[in-house]
Amino acid sequence: MAAQLLFFYFGGVTIAGAIVAVTSRNIVYSALSLLVAFIHIAGIYVLLNAEFIAAVQILVYAGAILVLYLFVLMLFNPSEEKLYLHKQAKVGIFLGVVVLFMMLFAGYKTEIIGKGGPLTAQAVKEMGHTRVIGNALFTDYLFPFEVASLILLVAMFGAIVLAGRGVHRKKGPAGRIDLSYRDKLPKKSSETPEEVIVGR
Amino acid sequence: MIPLSYYIVVSTTMFVVGLVGILIRKNFLIILFSIELMLNAANINLVAFSHYSGKVDGQVMSIFIIAVAAAEAAIGLAIIIILFRGKATTNVDEMDLMKW
Amino acid sequence: MSAVNLPSNYLPILVFFFIALAFGVVTILMGYLVRPKRPYLEKLHAYESGILPDTDARMQFPFRYYLIAMLFVLFDIEMVFLYPWAVSFNKLGLFGLIEMVLFLLILFVGYFYAWRKGALEWD
Repeated sequence: MAAQLLFFYFGGVTIAGAIVAVTSRNIVYSALSLLVAFIHIAGIYVLLNAEFIAAVQILVYAGAILVLYLFVLMLFNPSEEKLYLHKQAKVGIFLGVVVLFMMLFAGYKTEIIGKGGPLTAQAVKEMGHTRVIGNALFTDYLFPFEVASLILLVAMFGAIVLAGRGVHRKKGPAGRIDLSYRDKLPKKSSETPEEVIVGR
Repeated sequence: MIPLSYYIVVSTTMFVVGLVGILIRKNFLIILFSIELMLNAANINLVAFSHYSGKVDGQVMSIFIIAVAAAEAAIGLAIIIILFRGKATTNVDEMDLMKW
Repeated sequence: MSAVNLPSNYLPILVFFFIALAFGVVTILMGYLVRPKRPYLEKLHAYESGILPDTDARMQFPFRYYLIAMLFVLFDIEMVFLYPWAVSFNKLGLFGLIEMVLFLLILFVGYFYAWRKGALEWD
């Protein structure tokens, strides 16, 4: 019973956070409610006895990916948007409701057919979840594991190539007022020149 | 004891919320947020099925999905930064340089 | 299987959560009830050591933060893969060591690329 109550709490807050993230006018609110949703998804994983996945969810999603998003938000200098909905919004919501009912109709009665595997909740608990994951990951999933490193490598290359232009250039940070030009000006100009915005 | 279908309902709803978010919003970053929501919905499904079938494969897959999501966030944000430098907007409708 | 579903050793986290929540709520509520309320314009400004704030609190960050954060995320994922490897290392043996060295080598290629491109330098 307690497990059910916890499930309804975690699931409800997850869905509520997702809805707020998608519909909020202020993009910072969106990011923070997405954070709430991610942390509660970690709670759902704990209910499913997947403790390592829960820890990874909090470490990577809440701790790293969302911080990355927030940094980029701060690069954009966010403000509230007036016309924030796309013109296809009504059609989109209608389609979403239709798809939701179709998927629920298709998926609600799902049951596991056939014999379950050896790793019941009790067995996982005795072995330790991280050990179970490790044993499967580095034997059965050896090739996907190495491919994952390639995906990360390509992401690193891509992000540096795309966004790293001008990393070497000596330049004030974008949007800041740079006053170092004053030293380079000839002495005779007595009146103060206009401020120069450097960057972008 | 929580039935498997409860988890399916949560993950389906999250997936559809992400889908609707992609369709209705103009802002770039919100669209990326929605993609993250859809990936997380898939993760919940994988972990739930893995738990109820007594195999660990789904959870391993969910770790791979998390890795792919991180790569996707890095690349997607780099693309957004490039576009933002060019146009100084986050509206996807104004990114129509390739449109005839 | 029903009783196993709820990991009982998470109870301290729950208790800790409620204590933290109660601490925040009680502190704010006590301050709200006890303090005198005489607001005026200068008092309601954001506090910046007595200087009037002249810009928005959300200033634009330098762009360089993005590259650092991006590298952090990708190496964070590397750590996620290292952890189960370390836990089940005894079972995997030499084979596991070789595959992890391969994994790390591939990622170090990216690390040296970032280094050579100057993505790690601040100035």
